[in-house]
Amino acid sequence: MNGRDATRDVLLGLIPIALLLAIWQGTVSLGLAPPTLLPPPGLVFMRMAQLLATASFNQEILATLFRLFAGFSIAVVLGIAIGLAAAVSPAINAAVRPVVRVLAPLPKVALYPALLLLLGFGHESKITLVAADALFPILLSTYYGASTVEQKLIWSAMAAGTPPREILFKVILPGAAPSILTGCRIGLVISCIVVFLAEMITSTDGLGHVLITAARTFQAVDMFVPLITISLLGLILNGLLQAVRSYLLRGFPEV
Amino acid sequence: MRSRVLFARLAPLLACVGLLAVWQVAALTLNNDSFPTALDSIRAIPSILGDKEALINILASLRRMAIGFGTAVLVSIPLGLLMGRSRSVASFFNPLLMVIYPVPKAALMPIIMLWLGVGDLSKTLVIFLGVSLPVIYHSFEGAKAVEEKMLWSGAAMGLSAVERLVRIVLPAALPEILTGCRTGLVLALITMITSEMIARQSGAGNILFNALDMGQYDTVFAMIIIIGGMGIFLDAAFERMRERLVRWSEPQFDIPLSFS
Repeated sequence: MNGRDATRDVLLGLIPIALLLAIWQGTVSLGLAPPTLLPPPGLVFMRMAQLLATASFNQEILATLFRLFAGFSIAVVLGIAIGLAAAVSPAINAAVRPVVRVLAPLPKVALYPALLLLLGFGHESKITLVAADALFPILLSTYYGASTVEQKLIWSAMAAGTPPREILFKVILPGAAPSILTGCRIGLVISCIVVFLAEMITSTDGLGHVLITAARTFQAVDMFVPLITISLLGLILNGLLQAVRSYLLRGFPEV
Repeated sequence: MRSRVLFARLAPLLACVGLLAVWQVAALTLNNDSFPTALDSIRAIPSILGDKEALINILASLRRMAIGFGTAVLVSIPLGLLMGRSRSVASFFNPLLMVIYPVPKAALMPIIMLWLGVGDLSKTLVIFLGVSLPVIYHSFEGAKAVEEKMLWSGAAMGLSAVERLVRIVLPAALPEILTGCRTGLVLALITMITSEMIARQSGAGNILFNALDMGQYDTVFAMIIIIGGMGIFLDAAFERMRERLVRWSEPQFDIPLSFS
């Protein structure tokens, strides 16, 4: 694609977002919706800037981010480890596969009350929920990536006298990297969503809690701010992961 | 050979039994009031399902889910296919979808409730939003990967653009679309539960979280089993249907690959 096409694409992509903002502003200006139900966009963004400057709102963001990262990291470590193990060992595969088949389609949010009862209302239950939800996409894409590594590569490594352990880390893991990173990306979006939901259900801090407090007091402006914040956080984290991806996969052909 | 097939069929069932057994042992060792054993929880299921009001609630949940899922699929597949075939349409919608993606759809519930009330409409709308994104995304990817030569042949045989979309792109992208629908199905269930948890008025999520608030722990865990069972059953049923529809395509993994 050349530069001009790319600019055109970006401009075209901005239209619906601009349109959405215009409709939003228009609905308020024309008096179709009372500002208590739909605050004008300017007001929302000003309120957001105002809140971002306060320490307490940043504290909420940090609490959310901490849970998100803790849960996501656990999911990454466990997902890659189990996925790789299931791909290389038929015995582990036979054990893991049916369990995953049962647990993967289970709506994890329904488990949250159980986690609350077992782990309490603090960080632990939320982190566990995030980890449980982000685990499966990472596990499955690791498994998929590792079991589709070119067999010839493994044979060559064996012929060159590489011990099995090194084959795992020097051939299979890098070979599965693109698929693993795709799984991580899906897992990251899910983590964003789940951490927010968990905080909405029960929490004393975090962005989800900000939303619920605003909803209970009918502060429409304050309800939009955490939603936009989590969307922006998701975009930023996605961008960071993209950077990690292009660094890790620098030797790969375009994927 | 036959015993192996039998084992493969039974393996998920065995896994269920195994998980319940682990639960039973854990509950017995912890011996905690708020963590009933698996057997106690299973025993509480008949009383929930036998209760007329609870049953109506659960069925109402399923109806909302079916409507939300159905409309989302009907809207998202054509949109995704169009995005996959036309670069302008794709670059028009992509950034908007990227911005919406990390927003938890159920978190929109409080705002939508302000506008549309706590009734069926807002809950169905939230389910619709939750399901549509993965379906759009997978239809988009599927339509993008369609072999150009088939489209050229179609055009050479005089098919119009719409006909090509329906008769070539749709079937060719079907495996990928169904993967998206499967993800959407699980998401529909998740959004259904969370929306009912936020708008405590009716539904399975309402029973679950009300029981939690009232400290009826065996009901909590029984509802978890019921909802989990729904998820597993719907997923298995969908997988059956998928196998029939796309028997011609390469055999895929029997476990869901994407949960975006």
